[in-house]
Amino acid sequence: MSILFKDIYINDHYSVLGKNMFNVRFKANEYTNSFYNGKKSIEEAEEVLLVKAIDGINKKVDVCISSDLTDQLTASSYSLSKYNYPYIGVYSACSSFVSGLIVASSLINSGLRSAMVCVCSHTLSSEKQYRFPIEYGPYRRKVSTTTLSGALSSIVSKEKGNIRIEYATIGTPVDIGYSDINNFGAIMAMSCAKTIYEHLKDTKRSINYYDIILTGDLGIYGLSILKGVLSKEYKISGGNLVDAGSIIYENFESKTAGASGPVCLPFAFFNYVLNSKYKRVLLVGSGSLHSKKSSLIKNSIPSISHALSVEVIK
Amino acid sequence: MKLEEYKEIVDKCSKKENKIKNILISFLSGGLFGLLGEIFRKYIQRLFSISNSESYMYVFIVIVFIASLLTGLGVFDNIASFFKCGVIVPSSGFAHAMSASGLDHKREGLVNGIGSNIFKMTGSIILFSIVSAFVFVFIKVVIL
Repeated sequence: MSILFKDIYINDHYSVLGKNMFNVRFKANEYTNSFYNGKKSIEEAEEVLLVKAIDGINKKVDVCISSDLTDQLTASSYSLSKYNYPYIGVYSACSSFVSGLIVASSLINSGLRSAMVCVCSHTLSSEKQYRFPIEYGPYRRKVSTTTLSGALSSIVSKEKGNIRIEYATIGTPVDIGYSDINNFGAIMAMSCAKTIYEHLKDTKRSINYYDIILTGDLGIYGLSILKGVLSKEYKISGGNLVDAGSIIYENFESKTAGASGPVCLPFAFFNYVLNSKYKRVLLVGSGSLHSKKSSLIKNSIPSISHALSVEVIK
Repeated sequence: MKLEEYKEIVDKCSKKENKIKNILISFLSGGLFGLLGEIFRKYIQRLFSISNSESYMYVFIVIVFIASLLTGLGVFDNIASFFKCGVIVPSSGFAHAMSASGLDHKREGLVNGIGSNIFKMTGSIILFSIVSAFVFVFIKVVIL
């Protein structure tokens, strides 16, 4: 299902990076240098990141759409309760930034003037929630990804800017029966391929129309699985496919498959794609729709991907 | 696409784990720590002139104390990722798992936080040790 938006732009963005397990290749607007950010719990530390991102952008908006990975969107809801913005929380795991942009663009189409889309994630809060206790330090497989600590906010409005939002494709959840909780790249690659195929079908474009297709957080192995699925199942080959999770960290290949979390895609987009010469960009956010309980009862894991094509005007 | 076909693509693209290397590191590090424990046991047995069974208990206490302390200082996870199962499977790993779970929930209070979560990872070890002890004692006493 694709929607065409007219004259909707991303005007501004502000990024905050927390302390991470690996060095981050790109520069953020603001940094924090500890995991706990002066708080006593990791959940509160994640809120600090989001509050810094919202304060940093410092613009009055009609609505704020926010997302993160914690249970019941704790970080988003508690951070936004400090402000006086109308707030919608959206959750589609690591594809949340794209789904936030789709909701924001639709709201602006229906008459709102401006919307803020924010996302945040914290490496230790995800570790604690989905994997093992923080200090446990279990053996990590090389295909597992490491959540990026950071927060990012952006403003969407009708005011002319240099990033124009074009087509949005709302993805369908895909469950192929795969259930390896440590290999998120493999879980999400299938839905990512399906959404790319549906987007190209709806818009009647070829994969080479886009200068770059930036996927969310598949990691280095997930990206090659995506390429394999695209060529085998959908007979699509070529195209400049780049994975955000694979380009954020430095020297990570021997330890992890890359960065993950909802912040990866927008962070790589604003720092890498905007600074390159790419004009036609397809953002594909992909998320794994599991919960703590669903993985314990050994259910297979569904995943979802949303795509958004944007035009960078220089 | 069928799951089998998908798994084929996944296996082809994913990096294989070096299982033999991991097993070897765990075997050697486990053996090394076992040897150090034994040397320490002999040493305190001679120093304090205590019995065999008593000396095992003191070694156990010392290992649990050191492992918990290192977990609290935030060092044990690095040690565990280097020595792998060599330090996770013995009692040091048990103490480490307990302290790590407790630390995670410190902010949630003594009762609802630490108290109810400290056995999150090790609770099943205790439960099934008791169950299996019961079964084997039953076999030994009643059947044999």
